[in-house]
Amino acid sequence: MSADPLQVLASAGKGESTRGLLRVIILLLIAAAAIASRLFSVIRFESIIHEFDPWFNFRATKYLVANGFYNFWDWFDDRTWHPLGRVTGGTLYPGLMVTSGIIYHALRALTIPVDIRNICVLLAPACSGLTAVATYLLTNEMTPSPSAGLLAALFMGIAPGYISRSVAGSYDNEAIAIFLLVFTFYLWIKALKQGSMLWGALCALFYGYMVASWGGYAFITCLLPLHAFVLICMGRYSTRLYVSYTTWYALGTLASMQIPFVGFLPVKTSEHMPALGIFGFLQLLAFLDYVRAAMPSRQFQTFLWMFAGGTFGLSLLGLVLATSAGVIAPWGGRFYSLWDTSYAKIHIPIIASVSEHQPTAWPAFFFDLNMLIWLFPVGVYLCFQELADEHVFIVVYAVFGSYFAGVMVRLMLTLTPVVCVAAAIAVSTLLDTYLRAKLPKPEEIQAAEASEGKKGAKSGLKSTSKPVVGVYAIWGKSMMVSALAVYLLIFVLHCTWVTSNAYSSPSVVLASRLPDGSQHIIDDYREAYQWLRQNTREDAKIMSWWDYGYQIGGMADRPTLVDNNTWNNTHIATVGKAMSSSEEVSYPIMRQHEVDYVLVVFGGLLGYSGDDINKFLWMVRIAEGIWPEEISERSFFTPRGEYRVDGEATEAMKNSLMYKMSYYNYNNLFPPGKAMDRMRNSLLPEVGPTLSTLDEAFTSENWIIRIYKVKDLDNLGRDHTSAAAFDRGHKKAKKASKKRGPRRLRVD
Amino acid sequence: MRWPTLFSLALFGTGSLVATAAAKKTPPEERFNVYHAKALASAPVKLSDPSYRELTSSSRDYTVAVLLTAMESRYGCQLCREFQPEWELLARSWTSGDKKGESRLVFGTLDFGDGKDIFMSLGLQTAPVLFLFPPTVGPHATASPEPVRYDFTSGSQAAELVHSWVARHLPDRPHPPIKRPINWMRWISTFVVLSGGLTVSYAAWPYVLPIIQNRTVWAAITLISILLFTSGHMFNQIRNVPYVAGDGRGGISYFASGFQSQYGLETQIVAAMYGVLALSGISLAIKVPRMSDPKMQGVALLAWASVLFVVYSLLLSIFRGKNPGYPFSLPPFM
Repeated sequence: MSADPLQVLASAGKGESTRGLLRVIILLLIAAAAIASRLFSVIRFESIIHEFDPWFNFRATKYLVANGFYNFWDWFDDRTWHPLGRVTGGTLYPGLMVTSGIIYHALRALTIPVDIRNICVLLAPACSGLTAVATYLLTNEMTPSPSAGLLAALFMGIAPGYISRSVAGSYDNEAIAIFLLVFTFYLWIKALKQGSMLWGALCALFYGYMVASWGGYAFITCLLPLHAFVLICMGRYSTRLYVSYTTWYALGTLASMQIPFVGFLPVKTSEHMPALGIFGFLQLLAFLDYVRAAMPSRQFQTFLWMFAGGTFGLSLLGLVLATSAGVIAPWGGRFYSLWDTSYAKIHIPIIASVSEHQPTAWPAFFFDLNMLIWLFPVGVYLCFQELADEHVFIVVYAVFGSYFAGVMVRLMLTLTPVVCVAAAIAVSTLLDTYLRAKLPKPEEIQAAEASEGKKGAKSGLKSTSKPVVGVYAIWGKSMMVSALAVYLLIFVLHCTWVTSNAYSSPSVVLASRLPDGSQHIIDDYREAYQWLRQNTREDAKIMSWWDYGYQIGGMADRPTLVDNNTWNNTHIATVGKAMSSSEEVSYPIMRQHEVDYVLVVFGGLLGYSGDDINKFLWMVRIAEGIWPEEISERSFFTPRGEYRVDGEATEAMKNSLMYKMSYYNYNNLFPPGKAMDRMRNSLLPEVGPTLSTLDEAFTSENWIIRIYKVKDLDNLGRDHTSAAAFDRGHKKAKKASKKRGPRRLRVD
Repeated sequence: MRWPTLFSLALFGTGSLVATAAAKKTPPEERFNVYHAKALASAPVKLSDPSYRELTSSSRDYTVAVLLTAMESRYGCQLCREFQPEWELLARSWTSGDKKGESRLVFGTLDFGDGKDIFMSLGLQTAPVLFLFPPTVGPHATASPEPVRYDFTSGSQAAELVHSWVARHLPDRPHPPIKRPINWMRWISTFVVLSGGLTVSYAAWPYVLPIIQNRTVWAAITLISILLFTSGHMFNQIRNVPYVAGDGRGGISYFASGFQSQYGLETQIVAAMYGVLALSGISLAIKVPRMSDPKMQGVALLAWASVLFVVYSLLLSIFRGKNPGYPFSLPPFM
């Protein structure tokens, strides 16, 4: 008999091996889609490293590949933080660089000639493919429905919340860290479910890799103990929990202490204390469990109370002593700012100044997650249905993760995996319910009801006390399925649109549209860095605000004073002071630091918002934190409290080095009196600022980057102001002649 | 923080500026002793028009820290009232830590009600203002007799911050530390509340336990906190955003313009919409397939599905308002 094509199609997915094959193919396609959607920037611009931090990672990777692992480990970098230098090998997370180094050498060994830059550019998309697979595995642990895992993988693959940090070229720690995060969670769930030491050890191994890769490992360090703690509170202590947690903690802590940057932090700082505390607590519980098995119950009661009281008192005493003696460090600044949300603003302006440390407004959530944001609670609620140990993990992770994502924009990244898992559970439940072709039959329902009634309302949720009947109406099913299809379609379109419009700009190269709609590339950054590379001495020191430190190091290959590794606040404040003081104050500072060139970013001509005048107040604030007598933020505001750059700007503003460097010669571009700052929309004074201690060395095509050379000491021993005045043809002011006293012998 | 009514009020004040200008001249040591004794009785010294002039008149061998403030509620100076206890704490602990007057510092407060003319003559438009008058004669004399002004730009300041500012301007002198008094009332009330709570919970334990162990309660708590956090509640907490704002035409604008800003009410609307969406999702996934009556099930299915569709469409349109370039929409809110 001839097979009905529909029948063939329906029975195609029946066999177990066919399903397995299909699943593998679908997963591969999802991974390919995840990679492909991250390639916008490569296609539109070129294979280039993005933004700021990736430039350092790239430079470090090049160093690693060129000099070998041990030299990298001991690397002292004298080309940053001049004149201090930086012990780079001991102050970075090496996971990312080592990963690319291994890939590079492996490909070389396979005789595939590949440039290290291309590995670095494409590492993040490649890892996102792995993340999708890891999410699939994690979700499969949560629900019996196999479609949930595939949906989760798909969501994870294209969710903008994750794409934002993993497009091609965004060669940052997060690139591999999110894969490691999800995979560690998967291994943890696996270890917990089976009580297996092997899975626990694997979990510790990947935890160690995670520690080596990203400072965000503290998220795992806090989440796993929290999960264990909640399980204990629910009365779910078991040997499975004991075995998996202790294996993970012991091995994972040892692994994490191998990283020089982490060192002894896991036993010293407070953010690692919960993990240690739960470890101890589990030992106590295991001990009590043992004693209970060996003792009559009444004696055990007495024993329990004395034991609990004694332990609590001792540990409290120990904690107080250790904290007051300074053995246990207080919370790290970044971490502390997560709890006391006003802490950073008052005490550490440098943390508050970073835009990714700002709190998250609701549009950002919707922008990064689209419909997942409202499917997320649905999935979490569905987890309450069964509430096995692994579902508790999702619930704990959901609350914890969404709190942190609300406090800090950057932590949206750690929330995204759980959102994808929960939303996938929700969507797959909906699809499973409404895609079922079988109609419910009344006899079956009665039978099911009868059996369900016997079991009683044991299940916790009130809403799930009745048995599942199924959906009767075909129109209802088709309506729901088509609506879901529309939502999913919008989700895919949204993700593509967001990725293409918001997250695919390298920020080193800017794109704009010409009136005829064609794309115009603004390449000022690279033009300027190339100029520095070609026209300055190999060891010429460049002073700029710290944002550009890594780029100057990576692209121009010149020593810098400060960079994005903001470890030394005083040094940054020194640069801030030089930028915000008058020339007379700044010049000695620059001479003392052997500065040869000063680089500023100016967006006034093009209307580019990320320029230094817009960041200027942070320089002032950070400098004020160290020298409150000399720099005052208030003096940069007009009496009416405005921040202005036009004729009404304050004296401090007009005399500051930053203002002068930004607007020097700028009015020559315009007819007299028409000089216009297009960024701040203000008309500049007719007479531009004069510079006497700096020479304009280079200005890029669109004036985005301006480079000044610091003048040497005057040949005739004059101060620079009078020398410059003389060069401009001014006669000496009368005051000078008045001041002239009796002639003295020169003794120098 | 701004205090616009001050100047207009001051204009109506008596024009007795000239009359009181000639304050009595007494030697500085004596003046310091008099005011230091006053401060020992109650610091900071409450100043009025003439005493302010006397205390700050030139040829001082001591330092004066004066807070010019406006405590009366009709001026609506929130910052003044917030700072006042901190200021009093600073003045009290400094003065009591320096009974002999070795630091030669007098703390004073001048309220707008007591010294309108001073405010006028200084041209002050805002309050509070903290002036530090350096000594003009004696061993600590500084070059400029002009007072140093403390900035209240970043809101109310803790006493410790002001203390360090004052100490910075008084080198080589003792700086008595701030002693915050122990808040006995708070300790006692905490203790009472805590023990009361323990007793109640012990007594009510059999009734509370089922609630604590109830899964639905926990699910509700979890979902509510997730909705709060994902709708930008923490942003409101940290940035102190206004609840609503006017739209400039006398109406209320519910939604802040711009991607990076929001109002309190706006987040509540968004949270409610997420809540409705999640609720309809939960109903469609759990409740509807459990209904045994086909007709009822059809009605519920249609209702929840259309609620989902309409609210999602509304959400998309609100988001388009925040982000004008956003291209996607669903009917009916196109």
